Amino acid sequence: MDHCHSLWGLFQSRGLSRRSFLKTCAAVAGLLGLPPAMLPEVVAAAEKKTLPPVIWLHGHECTGCDESFIRSQSPLASDVVLTMISLEYSDTLSAAAGEPLEHHLQELMKKYAGQYILAVEGGVPLADEGVHCMVGGRTFLAALKEAAAGAAAIVEYGSCAAWGGIQAAKPNPTKSVAVSDVISGKPIVKVPGCPPIPEVMTAVVMHFALFGQLPPLDGQGRPKQFYGNRIHDTCYRRPFFDAGMFVEKFDDAGAKAGWCLYKVGCRGPVAYNSCGNMRWWNGLSYPIQSGAPCFACGSPNFWDNGPFYERLPDVPLPGTIADADKVGMVAAGVAAAGVVVHGALSAVQKNKQSKQQDTIVRGPEA
Amino acid sequence: MHEGQSKEYYVYSPWLRIFHWLMVGSVVILFATGLYIGNPFFAASRGSEPAFGPLAMNNIRYVHFAAAYVLVFAFILRVYGFAVNKGDRLLPKFWTALYWRGLVDTTLHYLFLRSAHEPYLRNSLARSSYLAVYVLLAVEAITGFAMYTMVNPNGLGAKFFGPVNSLLGGEYTVHIVHHCVAWLIVLFAIVHVYMAIRADFMEREGEVSSMFSGVKFYAHEPADIGDIADDNGTTCPAADRAGHRQHTAQG
Repeated sequence: MDHCHSLWGLFQSRGLSRRSFLKTCAAVAGLLGLPPAMLPEVVAAAEKKTLPPVIWLHGHECTGCDESFIRSQSPLASDVVLTMISLEYSDTLSAAAGEPLEHHLQELMKKYAGQYILAVEGGVPLADEGVHCMVGGRTFLAALKEAAAGAAAIVEYGSCAAWGGIQAAKPNPTKSVAVSDVISGKPIVKVPGCPPIPEVMTAVVMHFALFGQLPPLDGQGRPKQFYGNRIHDTCYRRPFFDAGMFVEKFDDAGAKAGWCLYKVGCRGPVAYNSCGNMRWWNGLSYPIQSGAPCFACGSPNFWDNGPFYERLPDVPLPGTIADADKVGMVAAGVAAAGVVVHGALSAVQKNKQSKQQDTIVRGPEA
Repeated sequence: MHEGQSKEYYVYSPWLRIFHWLMVGSVVILFATGLYIGNPFFAASRGSEPAFGPLAMNNIRYVHFAAAYVLVFAFILRVYGFAVNKGDRLLPKFWTALYWRGLVDTTLHYLFLRSAHEPYLRNSLARSSYLAVYVLLAVEAITGFAMYTMVNPNGLGAKFFGPVNSLLGGEYTVHIVHHCVAWLIVLFAIVHVYMAIRADFMEREGEVSSMFSGVKFYAHEPADIGDIADDNGTTCPAADRAGHRQHTAQG
């Protein structure tokens, strides 16, 4: 592909009308979470900005984020890959493979040094010098560091790249960490999720492509427009929570009627994502809508916050299965019994003293 | 202890006493509503559509948040009392020998190894546990606001309290910390109520009524009287700033 093209240039070379170009720009602006007033700037950027080359690396992961990405509906993943960005290297999507592809990567990194967007899927295992994830005969750690050196910006796709991933669950045998734990000095945006919503993945890379900078980030490095709301606060089942109507078991009448999943472990109250607003597959559904509690898959360490179908985790006491409420209740019972016994013993002691000291003069209230 | 004459000592300011009872009320409400929020153990409405009865989660959360605000702002009274009245400053003084002596003395007494402990305005164990409960309440307030303000992550409150969530390793952990510390406060309350009533029976120094009247009674001068002594060093019973008359309780 010729990389000197802008989006408008591409439309022209394909014989597409100005009208469809403007419609695309409007769709992109909506997708980026920009107000309608920003549309002229999106159009201007799409007319002038050359499409950035994208290098997409895969590390310690399951490639589920790819599976999600290729199901992006608006824009279609094919449109993104073929017309909106210039995806130059992707281990999983490339038609080429092996030596030629790796050679292409080397050339790319030289030719577009300092210009390309580096998208990374997957965590970085550090244990045993990184041998737990090998790409093209090298450790992923080495491949990542090399690619990151010339990147204009880095996008961490998925919870593996953003937080270390499922394989970082305790005790994290491969010492898998986030990309930002080994790379510094580059603008990095986290797009966590297991997987992230496809439209979120495309929108973040489009934002950089059009404006040349990362979208506004929250305190954890995630784009605000997609991770600015709690799942709980955008949940269509929220009225059931507020009314106090909860699914107790997955086969009860409440589950059938679509009540709140809070008591079967929903992490909506601690999860920040766009599932509640954008949903998946062009608004078709999302986990809660299909009756499954949210895992907070975009949150750090969600994999260690089990059990997923309980509101409160078990207290790590050896030989017991009890949550904080049960332990608290037992402790309160023991404390109550303790004070009763202590009180009785105190009374006995006091009595003994009084007998020993018959001269004691009692207070007026006694 | 048995001369039959006790002297009256003004210790606690009205500000501390009002704060104490506001705290009692709000902590009881906070714990009860918090238990329900953590585990909604009864269904608040019947039928299959959302209906908002008085005990709906929405209302219970509202009461929880309102009580939390009462507790947080009532603490202003505590701070004011601390500023104006020496009797409100009976915190553990770890740097004094008296604190450590009193700690051993009181502990031995509570273990029935010593028939009585010296008279104190407030003994070392009580001083330490009250400081600890303030710490626990602070943890509850901070974790509570960390969850509460993140409803709008771009808001001012989230600017202050939001980072707590990352500090503690995620908002889910914050929920659990908030939950467990609530139980610790209840355990404190059980022991505290017992200890106060027990002290009234055993020492007859007006421990319970002092939280209404501000006054305690001692037959002997308390060991830590220096904490409420006047600036010139004299330890004059009931010589508070409000000008309490010095008198003795009839034996």
